[in-house]
Amino acid sequence: MNAKTYVGQSVPKLDAREKATGQAIYAADLNLPGMLYGKIVRCRDFAHAKVLKLDLSEAAQVPGVVKVLGPKDVTQKRYNSGVLDLMVSEGLGEVLGDIEDQHIFTDYVRHQGDAICGIIAESEEIAEIAAQKVKVFYEALPVYLTAEDSSRPDAIQFDERKPGNRAFQLPEQMFPGNAYGWGDVDAEMAKADMVFEETFTLPKVKQCQMETHSYVAMYDQTGRLNCWTSTQMPKCVQPKLARLFDLPISRVNLVSTTIGGGFGVRLGMICEPETCAMAMAVPGRPVKVQLTREEDWLASESRHPGKYWIKLGVKMDGTPVALDARFMASTGAYFTHASGVPFTTGSWLTGMYKYGAVRYKGEAYFTNQAPSGAFRGYGNPQTNFALEQIVDRACNALNIDPVEWRKKWHKGTGDDGWCIGVPFSSCALDECLDRGAKAIGWNEKRAKYANQTGVKRRGVGVSVMNHTSGAMPMLLEHTTCTVKMNEDGSVVLMISCSDMGQGSHTVLKQIAADALGMPMDEIHILNNMDASGFDIGSHASRTTYVGGGAVIKACEDVKRQLIERASIRLGVDKEDLEFKERQVVARSDASKKLSVKEICHSGVYNFTNPANGETNGVPGQIQGYASHFPSHNSPPFGACFAEVEVDTETGEVKVLELVIAHDIGRAINPMAVEGQLEGGAHQALGMILTEETCYNDAGLCRNNSFTDYKMLGPVDMPRITTILVEQPDPIAPMGIKSVGEAGPVNPVGATANAISHALGIMFTEAPITPERVLKALNQ
Amino acid sequence: MSSRVLPQFDLLEPRNVADVIALLSQHENQVSVLAGGTDLLVWAYIEKNKTPYVLSLSAIEGLDHLDYVAGEGLRIGAKVKVAQLLKHPDVAKHYPALYQAAENFATPQIRNMATVMGNVLRASPAGDCSCAILALGAKVVLQGPAGQRLVDIDDFWVSYGVTERQPDELAVELRIDDTSSSTCSAFQRLTRVHEDLSKLNVAVRLEMDQDTCKQARIAMGCVGPTPLRLKKTERLLTGAKISAELLQQVAAAAREEVTPIDDQRSTAEYRRQVSGVILKRVIEQAVAKS
Amino acid sequence: MKTKMITLCVNGKDHRFEVPVNRTLLQALRDDLKLTETKYGCGTGECGGCTVLMDGKDSVCSCLTLAVEAEGRHITTVGGMTHEGELHPIQIAFIEEGAVQCGYCTPGMIMKTASILANNPNPTEEEIRKGLDGNICRCTGYEKIVQAVRRASVMMDTAQTRKVGGMRA
Repeated sequence: MNAKTYVGQSVPKLDAREKATGQAIYAADLNLPGMLYGKIVRCRDFAHAKVLKLDLSEAAQVPGVVKVLGPKDVTQKRYNSGVLDLMVSEGLGEVLGDIEDQHIFTDYVRHQGDAICGIIAESEEIAEIAAQKVKVFYEALPVYLTAEDSSRPDAIQFDERKPGNRAFQLPEQMFPGNAYGWGDVDAEMAKADMVFEETFTLPKVKQCQMETHSYVAMYDQTGRLNCWTSTQMPKCVQPKLARLFDLPISRVNLVSTTIGGGFGVRLGMICEPETCAMAMAVPGRPVKVQLTREEDWLASESRHPGKYWIKLGVKMDGTPVALDARFMASTGAYFTHASGVPFTTGSWLTGMYKYGAVRYKGEAYFTNQAPSGAFRGYGNPQTNFALEQIVDRACNALNIDPVEWRKKWHKGTGDDGWCIGVPFSSCALDECLDRGAKAIGWNEKRAKYANQTGVKRRGVGVSVMNHTSGAMPMLLEHTTCTVKMNEDGSVVLMISCSDMGQGSHTVLKQIAADALGMPMDEIHILNNMDASGFDIGSHASRTTYVGGGAVIKACEDVKRQLIERASIRLGVDKEDLEFKERQVVARSDASKKLSVKEICHSGVYNFTNPANGETNGVPGQIQGYASHFPSHNSPPFGACFAEVEVDTETGEVKVLELVIAHDIGRAINPMAVEGQLEGGAHQALGMILTEETCYNDAGLCRNNSFTDYKMLGPVDMPRITTILVEQPDPIAPMGIKSVGEAGPVNPVGATANAISHALGIMFTEAPITPERVLKALNQ
Repeated sequence: MSSRVLPQFDLLEPRNVADVIALLSQHENQVSVLAGGTDLLVWAYIEKNKTPYVLSLSAIEGLDHLDYVAGEGLRIGAKVKVAQLLKHPDVAKHYPALYQAAENFATPQIRNMATVMGNVLRASPAGDCSCAILALGAKVVLQGPAGQRLVDIDDFWVSYGVTERQPDELAVELRIDDTSSSTCSAFQRLTRVHEDLSKLNVAVRLEMDQDTCKQARIAMGCVGPTPLRLKKTERLLTGAKISAELLQQVAAAAREEVTPIDDQRSTAEYRRQVSGVILKRVIEQAVAKS
Repeated sequence: MKTKMITLCVNGKDHRFEVPVNRTLLQALRDDLKLTETKYGCGTGECGGCTVLMDGKDSVCSCLTLAVEAEGRHITTVGGMTHEGELHPIQIAFIEEGAVQCGYCTPGMIMKTASILANNPNPTEEEIRKGLDGNICRCTGYEKIVQAVRRASVMMDTAQTRKVGGMRA
């Protein structure tokens, strides 16, 4: 059609130049006239306590303090900072039991860092000085740090709606026996020749996005609440704020600022409620709130930690007759994602292999830790750690090659997907495994490292995964797109999808440019929450899949209109018209043609000839529109291979190489796909080797800084080889499948299995630190 | 709770050491001395340091000398940054342990800002330069109202975060003992990731005669309240021929001599176990390069 | 003293203003001079988001530097890397290699790269990785950043602009 196509090209990110010159505007970079500074005063010394008395008098008297706000000075409405309530029907929401249990400022502290009050001042320095003068008197309560602790019968009840502090279990109405799966697990397990059972412990891992949370809010003279935020879900935060502050959505102007990393932490609200509440208290003046890195640990969510019990029954030939599993998650102080993660954790489990029968139970309990919530992968890294290791244990016992076992027993096209009843539409996992194994030298290394005795021992491990492209059918999947044709034929693409840095806007523009057969630089993406329609937000690896689908549909709508008009003007049947190099041309007679520009121009500048009443073309500016609900979730698969070297005298693990083969369907932007896999690997290796948020007995966080919480650095990261396996999905737009959430999953299991291969020891507790390795070697 | 804003203080900017001493005497215990700032400012953000005065050494002429004199040793002025050690050829040549400690110290930015003296004054058991300096042998030059005094590095650290420096004294110079062609030294450390505070660090200085160790100094960090000399273990090395068997004994002795604790970075049990391993490795490294 | 009149030379331009003595260089750049390209990421000198160059060569954390202590030094931020609208080779390399994702670490990464290459125009991969210590990126796994630094070193070498060109330090 047109000479140049963009899909499949590693186009540099649209905003890379702005970012590389420092001109991209993050929320903290905003300086508005008359801006005030808000400080959220948090509980520092307790993880569970009642506020007996709050004395703000001294703080209020600090010169330059404009207002101090306690719990009673703001709306008394409770909220849930997560957005699951917007993603399911009211009925399903009730079944799942999601609750609103957060206050803007609280007099009942459920975790260290809970917000007590707010200070609004003329400068950040003054707000800080006043914060030091706030006096809070607490009554300490017993602290519960694990699900085991808080589920004890004598434990204080966090919420009367959730007896036993059980925030969630798979509901009986949807999941008989509170379990997800199929078949009679007990009967099938009895037929197993060998049974492998283990309890794995998962760490509380932090997203560690580089941009600390910052906001500006202003309640303006027109009665609109303006909020500048880097949320990944602008179109969900907008109605959430509207509901919280009793405003129609049209009076909430949500401005998406550049997102300095999301990874799930910005899935919903964080401190938008506190910031907006402060802004409401000082109408006409903007209020800026900037959190410290410490507050990020105390006040925003993490990955769900917990205990993952798993039991696998196999026949001597490897047949997985039954799998039984239970994930007991700590959801932290508030409900937020208590229902979402414990469910999906099981769906990745059931989606992976052709078990004879499987039964998964998922629960979440309140604790006095900072809330757990969404983190890229959403339960999948947890499952990967437990499932992939138990599979390797079985393979070792049965003397079956772990790659061959996986090739034989993984689910594939036509099998039930992660959502039972929705079959996998495609599966390129075999190719992922074959190419990955070849790239790492699987057979040679597996044999070579079989019987080592030296100080430094090497191992190779494999892991596989399945994920999803969007959350259909469990959650609402909806994105709208408007393609406005300017009078010169250039385009404004209006869409509410967020770009968290992964390059989704670039990819959406590539798709639009190809759909319309025009250069990318004549398309502008407008990400304005007033102008653009609904989008559920950047989560569940959905933006390219669902957003891209919406873009294609909206572009088709434009093309339909162009052809209709050309048909009228040229007197040619619509069926006879086609697009060629930004023109509509008759197939039967190439001399009959109209340029897109001419059609658009005459639609806008449509003049009536006073003499005869005729007009120059068909009137009306062209806008294409789509309100897109995808029909599927085209799940991607992936295989990862890791090679490690373990120092048996110090317990140190060095990852030497990762090979990550991903079933991408079709890569719109290969460089961006690689970036997702490489960055995801960083997060996965952190979870398996070094990262864990720790608390002391009083529930106070022990490592809320980059000094104490260590991520792998540039020297620690291994060589990474990415393999993009392109077998287009038959259902997906352009055959595409997702990648973002897959990133932090597979290297978890592959690395754990590689360590196990090197040492002959399986580690059930992550992260696998040198301390744990050495302890195990000594036993 | 930490803050994005530093607490308020009064800034003192004396122009010479005499004025520093006078100000330190005048505001006794109320002054923090600022040279690199990489510890001081972090401590201020996290509310650990709230002295009403901060005294900057910036305006003072001198204190930035880094000189090696054969027969005397290395003199490091109070304002010398860790990065400067890496650019001085005599440090790499005569003091491999110090060079290796500086090379692994924190991050490039912090090495450009932090002073060597600051690391010693911090009196943290995890200080990498401190560990190397303790092994190499050194004196801290303190200047006070009554003039200068020299404190041996072996006596300088009193307890965690506490040194022999009195509130009215300024630490003006470090003097590292001289080395000879028969001296060898090395430094190693264990961390959670490459860029990290040490969870265990160790440095040795050995005076060798062929394969025989005539004299040894062993310093180990993160195994006690301050960097420790492992004197009992040193005695095993003195006069002994370095052999695999001896190193096994040395490693075992080190494990007996250390007094580690559990903290965010590691456990007492782990530190005790690997102390011997790392000591063995650092001796091998020192001897191999000599 | 509690406040001080200072002159800060940023990207070749002098700015004279009064600051409280407890104000950091980072705050002075962002809040007083409205040069927001330098980022706050941790406030403890760990993340490198606030990295600027001192005197054209040394990377420092502006969050751990008092503004008053920066007087008399030449400070370069990423805003000083472009010259008359033309991107510096380091910026081009970061853009084209896909080393920019969320972009929050990018200004600090680019200043760190400038420092690495100013001190060592042809670094090995190991030297690049060690040089990048102290600048945290949570998006890329460092893979494409390392490639970008390598490419920048080749571009600068080819262009024979070994001196960090375009920078008006």
